[in-house]
Amino acid sequence: MRAFRHLSLSDALGIGLILCVAVFSLLLLVAPSIIVVMISFDTRAFVSFPPEGFTLRWYAEVFEQGELVDAMLNSLQVGLTVTLLCILLGVPTALACARGRFRGTTALSVFVLVPHMVPGIVLGVAVLFAGALVGVSPSIWLQSVAITVFILAVMVRTVQSRLVRLDPALEEAAANLRATPFQSLRTVTFPLLMPAILAGAVFTFVEGFDNLSVAIFTHGFRDRPLPVELLALVQYTSSPLVAAVSGVQIVLAIAALVAVSLSIGLDNVND
Amino acid sequence: MMQGPTGPATSVATTSPVLRIGGVGKRFGTFTVLDDCSLDVAEGEIVTLLGPSGCGKTTLLRCIAGFWDADSGSITIDGQDMARVPVNRRPVGVVFQSYALFPHLTVARNVGYALRMQGVPRAEAARRVAAALETVSLTGFEDRYPAQLSGGQQQRVAIARVLVMEPRVLLLDEPFNALDAKLRGTMQVELRQLIKSLGLTSIFVTHDQEEALTMSDRIAVMRAGRIEQAAPPDEIFDRPATAYVADFIGSSNFWPSLVADGRVSLPDGQSVATGLRGAVRVMARPHNLQIAPPAAGPWQGRVAFQRSVGPLVEYHVETEGGDAMVKVVAMRRAQDRGFADGTAVSLRIVDPALCAVYPA
Repeated sequence: MRAFRHLSLSDALGIGLILCVAVFSLLLLVAPSIIVVMISFDTRAFVSFPPEGFTLRWYAEVFEQGELVDAMLNSLQVGLTVTLLCILLGVPTALACARGRFRGTTALSVFVLVPHMVPGIVLGVAVLFAGALVGVSPSIWLQSVAITVFILAVMVRTVQSRLVRLDPALEEAAANLRATPFQSLRTVTFPLLMPAILAGAVFTFVEGFDNLSVAIFTHGFRDRPLPVELLALVQYTSSPLVAAVSGVQIVLAIAALVAVSLSIGLDNVND
Repeated sequence: MMQGPTGPATSVATTSPVLRIGGVGKRFGTFTVLDDCSLDVAEGEIVTLLGPSGCGKTTLLRCIAGFWDADSGSITIDGQDMARVPVNRRPVGVVFQSYALFPHLTVARNVGYALRMQGVPRAEAARRVAAALETVSLTGFEDRYPAQLSGGQQQRVAIARVLVMEPRVLLLDEPFNALDAKLRGTMQVELRQLIKSLGLTSIFVTHDQEEALTMSDRIAVMRAGRIEQAAPPDEIFDRPATAYVADFIGSSNFWPSLVADGRVSLPDGQSVATGLRGAVRVMARPHNLQIAPPAAGPWQGRVAFQRSVGPLVEYHVETEGGDAMVKVVAMRRAQDRGFADGTAVSLRIVDPALCAVYPA
């Protein structure tokens, strides 16, 4: 507290204001999740706030409903496929953009960004029609590819920004120290890019799992992903079931963040 | 004698050079970075590329390492042309300005990197890593990461990392830039002694003339992509081949003059022989001038400014006519205390033979 003793009134007011804004922002970020979780324990069969009573009935029902569990598994599959595709396509693209010595590296990095700028609905419709033209009908695979196109830019940008900040002398040093280009990539570039690749993987997995706008036009008729299933649910019912599904998702997200912070540290992902 | 040809080595090596740079040129677009650079480096010799930023010294180093290709000319090491040799096959070791230590590897793994890339058997690699770390006095630091080391220790790891592969030529790109000023002086002496004890042929790049004078057997002064003069430090300092070199290395006084009958007259009435004709510029080092109480003589002036530089005093003397500010360096002695600012003094050149004459 000693540090505050010599503060002038205006300093104190400034700090107070900053604290207020910070607390307000934090509330704004966290409140929706807290409200959803509270609703999910409500005993009443319709969504209302504040909740009355406490039950785990909706959580039990989530896992009793075959469609919801299937939808979760579908979304999990899409999330993993999108992540894998983004790593396979995005990391080499980022390398080409940041280190390539050919004309058009800037054009390439802008080009990758374009699908991300188009509204997801438009991209979804476009992929649907384009698929129809070449005889590919909506499926879990078409959905995965479409979302990959949509979100690839995030992986490319994350890896690229890390690459740009890597000292180029590191790769030159590897070459000077007898490493072939492939050895240099394997022993120096990739290990140093790993935090960025993991960060990109978290973002792309979440998008693959959670995307509605692209998925709604491209998902398979029998393989409905979770967001589409939830949309149907809120359209026709208003039970706290939806809140319970969200509760499960929130728990999974927290578990994932804890796992990441325990393994490589959140700072590394941010970096 | 002062107007000898500029460019390649003035001292001829007795054996064939380890590194031979022959007429190397390099352009980026329309900008010429290197223009017909030639330099031979003998076995065990430390040659410094010295010049202001943008003079091409780092470009030349990068061409030798193979990071960039020269547009013209040739670079040979032990008689072998390097043109078609990729970076990872060249017998050179580079110590980078940033050291470029691999942050995710320990000291031992950084130092052993080249050996792993070459597939050297584990036991032999371990032995060579230990030897290299001992050479740079870093035994016991094997398991530290670069971030846990001081700047000086990082530099030694960078050196050990290239020593371990026994390069024919060591390339050092401003290796003292990342160190604080106090540490630099000691590190320079230590590094020179280390390189000399290992007998490594080295090219050292710097923009700092004191560093160059400390480190080098020979200094190649570069200007706008060309080597102006390559000679031992004493010769560079005492007999700069061009006015640019004279101006760049150390402190200097210049006067315009005219050649008459093969001689140039100096401001104090003495004269010096020259092979040049017409308008010339005469250069004298501040320590070749003598400052004295006013006396009968053609060269009089007034002390405008003075400062102590260690055991020396540097006087700036405003000479008659007023346009030329002359720098004089004298040993700090009791009898010199008389020359306060504003004092009238007379100047004299101690040894006219040490004055250099350049075309105007």
